[in-house]
Amino acid sequence: MFKIYASIKKELLLLVNDRVGLALMFVMPLLLVFIITIIQDSVYKVVNENRIPLLVMNQDEGILGERLINVLTESGLFEIDSVAGKSEQVLKSELLARGKMIALYVPKSFSAGLESNAGDVSKILMKDLGLEYDSTESASVEIPALTFYNDPVLQENYTYSVMGVIQSYLSVIENSLMIDNMYAEMDLGARSESLKDKMIQNRVKINKVVATNNKSMAVPNSTQHNVPAWTIFAMFFMVVSLGSNIVKERVNGSFLRLKTMPTSFMLVMFSKMSVYVLVAILQVILTFSMGMWILPRLGLPELTLPTNLLAFGSVVFISSMAAVSYALMIGSIARTQEQANGFGAVSIIIFGAIGGILVPTFVMPSYMQLVSNFSPLHWCLEGFYILFLKGGSWQELKSVFLFLGIFILLCQLCTYFKLKIEKII
Amino acid sequence: MGSEIIQKMARQPGIEIQHVSQKYKSASENTLTDINLDIYNTDVFGLLGPNGAGKTTLISILCGIIPPSSGTIRFYNQGVPISDQERKSVIGFVPQEYAFYQELTPRQNLDYFGAMYNIAKAELINRREELLEVLGLSKAADKPVGTFSGGMKRRVNLAIGIIHKPGILFLDEPTVGVDVQSKNAIIRYLQLINKSGTTIIYTSHHMSEAEEFCNRIALIDHGKVIAQGGMKELKMGNDVADLQSLFIKLTGEEYRD
Repeated sequence: MFKIYASIKKELLLLVNDRVGLALMFVMPLLLVFIITIIQDSVYKVVNENRIPLLVMNQDEGILGERLINVLTESGLFEIDSVAGKSEQVLKSELLARGKMIALYVPKSFSAGLESNAGDVSKILMKDLGLEYDSTESASVEIPALTFYNDPVLQENYTYSVMGVIQSYLSVIENSLMIDNMYAEMDLGARSESLKDKMIQNRVKINKVVATNNKSMAVPNSTQHNVPAWTIFAMFFMVVSLGSNIVKERVNGSFLRLKTMPTSFMLVMFSKMSVYVLVAILQVILTFSMGMWILPRLGLPELTLPTNLLAFGSVVFISSMAAVSYALMIGSIARTQEQANGFGAVSIIIFGAIGGILVPTFVMPSYMQLVSNFSPLHWCLEGFYILFLKGGSWQELKSVFLFLGIFILLCQLCTYFKLKIEKII
Repeated sequence: MGSEIIQKMARQPGIEIQHVSQKYKSASENTLTDINLDIYNTDVFGLLGPNGAGKTTLISILCGIIPPSSGTIRFYNQGVPISDQERKSVIGFVPQEYAFYQELTPRQNLDYFGAMYNIAKAELINRREELLEVLGLSKAADKPVGTFSGGMKRRVNLAIGIIHKPGILFLDEPTVGVDVQSKNAIIRYLQLINKSGTTIIYTSHHMSEAEEFCNRIALIDHGKVIAQGGMKELKMGNDVADLQSLFIKLTGEEYRD
């Protein structure tokens, strides 16, 4: 027992003396979670939570331009900012100067054009129905065109989505106008309201449901992606500390010296693994605490822990073991500390990139999604996703445990055989 | 003279090396060929030879780091043969490299390696403080070893190898690259522990040091023992005045890589 205590104490002392390693393992994930969550949260908010900022210049001489703006405002989807001025050039300049993404120009003839078109439609309808109508030819006004400006950096699908929303509200005004015109031709006047209500309000609804496997209310947000993602990244970055620590012991003869002593090499490895699994658990506690208590104070989404805490603990443990096993393997293969640090760090960045840490895998091309299966970080993240975002069950976590289990086994076998070849074991 | 007689009378087998050969898979020739040596419990036994002669390989085999390709080695404790597992508790090993943790202090290093030798905590603390004192490391005992001079590091390396009071101590170039004072302190302490009953097997390139320190030597060249015996009888038998002349006479003057 004293041996285990002494061995673990030695590992802890080595760890405490490794300032760079400690900074990489504890400061880096906190900074990454903090910075990336803030950055990604603003992106999420543009799409999901915030109202869409829209600059509007209304030059309409009638009332329909104003009505369109009111309808858009009442929809709650837009944050409308009116621009005074006469020309579209002013609107364009304002768009770029104010850092807004989209702008809408309503032309002078907007009301006249819509009314003219609605009148023409109702006359055609009355005529076709054989009903009396005012056949006096009136000057027809061309159907107006709204101008939609967008910042060139805005994604095209986002632009089309916003245009679709405006088009939808425009249709409401056009339909309303046509109904009013037809009822007026038939001298039915104010009775058009019930028809308009029926046509506009009673439309097919689309219910939006977040697909989860239980009744968990957790929905994806920037915190729930970034906190586990960067914690995993930092866990695997222990390769810099643990990997170079092993290289040092191999190269300076400490391992060989231990071989001459009445002790088991398994004890050495067990101590290293225990200490670094503990480090990984501390990383999780630290970054997850930040997600739960500090990020919400900064106006960022709060991290909600999954309901299945045993599964959560298991995912944390197997992810830690994967990170530790990888570091042991790199430490046993590298010839110098520089090799262990350089290759270890670069390989983690690559694994992180293909594994969906930097960019989620669902936005990757299909072949890259296939490649991501070869990243252990992907499987760790998948485990956390199943827990946090889908309220996953043990059944779902099976594949995560299987792949990470195979990865751990391979790393441990590589370590064993490399140390065996070097006669250390 | 009287003490030499007493020593000879108390002499018992320490290590018997019989027909030991070693061939690495990657090498075309044997690194060691048919080594036969008898080392006694009272010996300070010098394994001497030019670079690449096979001294470190032989020490590695004796310490159990690598198994020999063929041959047998028997270890004795007070004249009684011991098992491989017992051997690990009996031997001490001081490698050529600084085989310890440079980030840790001498106290922390000694605590760790001492625990690996199964020394009880209280005993370990006493032994640790005794060694730090004897080897002149007390004042620096709580500073990281990485900040030490070469001589101090050598003394830490030695302290770790003898923390458990080994019956047999293997020293691979224990004084290489150290100042005269440190070398003197190391040799004096090694002589002291030899008198207290520790068998010492020692390799060195310092012929004058070996001549002063060892009572018996084996000269190894190209993996073979080319001479072995008591220091005096070897010098007399080869008609040379000192060990360096004996070494040059038997191994030649050609450069060795």
